[in-house]
Amino acid sequence: MSNLMMSLETTDPEQTEALGKVLAKVLQAGDFVALYGDLGAGKTAFTRGIASHLAPNDTVSSPTYTIVNEYRSGKHPFCHFDMYRIENEDDLESIGFYDYPEDAIFVVEWCEKIPYALPRNYYRVNIEKTKGEDKRSITIQRITEEENQ
Amino acid sequence: MITLALDSTSRYSSVALTDNDRILGHTFLDSGNTHSETLLPAIIDLLNFNHMHSDDVRLFACSAGPGSFTGVRIGVSILKGLCSGSTRPCVGVSTLEALAENLPYTDSLLCPVMDARRNQVYNALFRRTEEGLIRLTPDRLITLSELSAELSNYNQKIYLCGDGYSLAKKNLSVYTENTPSLLIAQNAVSVALVAKRQWENSPGSDFSEGKLQPIYLRASQAERERLEKETANKKI
Repeated sequence: MSNLMMSLETTDPEQTEALGKVLAKVLQAGDFVALYGDLGAGKTAFTRGIASHLAPNDTVSSPTYTIVNEYRSGKHPFCHFDMYRIENEDDLESIGFYDYPEDAIFVVEWCEKIPYALPRNYYRVNIEKTKGEDKRSITIQRITEEENQ
Repeated sequence: MITLALDSTSRYSSVALTDNDRILGHTFLDSGNTHSETLLPAIIDLLNFNHMHSDDVRLFACSAGPGSFTGVRIGVSILKGLCSGSTRPCVGVSTLEALAENLPYTDSLLCPVMDARRNQVYNALFRRTEEGLIRLTPDRLITLSELSAELSNYNQKIYLCGDGYSLAKKNLSVYTENTPSLLIAQNAVSVALVAKRQWENSPGSDFSEGKLQPIYLRASQAERERLEKETANKKI
């Protein structure tokens, strides 16, 4: 079941970042954010916004090459993943995905590669390029497991 | 014989310093900190409290798997680092056998279980007699329903232990005894006991640091892909 929480248009990367910060204020220990969007859509900008609230003393960079960046300056560990290079569950296990503490908050790009690893309840953020170079259409949904499944 | 043993195969981290059957020191943590942060300070503290140095350790031991990918590797790497350059034996034991060692019960089925996600556990079955532990099955990755089916063939009392204890208690369809909480978790004292026995029973075996390898039990990628194809075909 999915609940639409927010659907907005942003006009520059700073606004995308600001929206990330808004979501961060709702996030709790153990939460999972699945980020979807094309190359250059603004996933890292959005994540920077999340980090400004959850790990304020850390500088966020793209996890494209590292696969995962961990930020520990906040109350809970905050982990930013890029699953593009993850081909199977063995790969996922070998990066320690399953070994983080229960309170760690995950923001994950390229979740299309790891459908089996999505938790029952999570936030789904879609960042889409619209007309105009800097404009983005951003949707935030809360996905919850159907109770009668 | 002074033994230093570690277990970091699950969320628990445990270090023990023993002298034959005497426990000189033992740390156990379930604190959510990564093992890479907790193990070495624990080792240093235990040695210092006993006025010892790693040079005084005659036997190094760890649970070499099964377990969490990261946890197993941290334990094995730390042990290799500690042993490196010395000729002292470095023994990797089965996490499941060390877990069974926690349980003193005879005339019972000893059933250590470790959470392997997706309703699966790492498991092996053991029995204990006056002579010691007897292994009934190899270490394996098994679904909780398959394990329930297998356990229903046994008539003895069944004792569970391991980080999968609550998971198994909740999901196994057979009745199991309650294990005292002190005996449930992975415990480096048991690792030390099993390692010493393994070393004593295999004179002439190579326990050099270079030979120590992690033990992973994952369904092979090919088998998983085959299962996925079968499931997909059924849906069509």
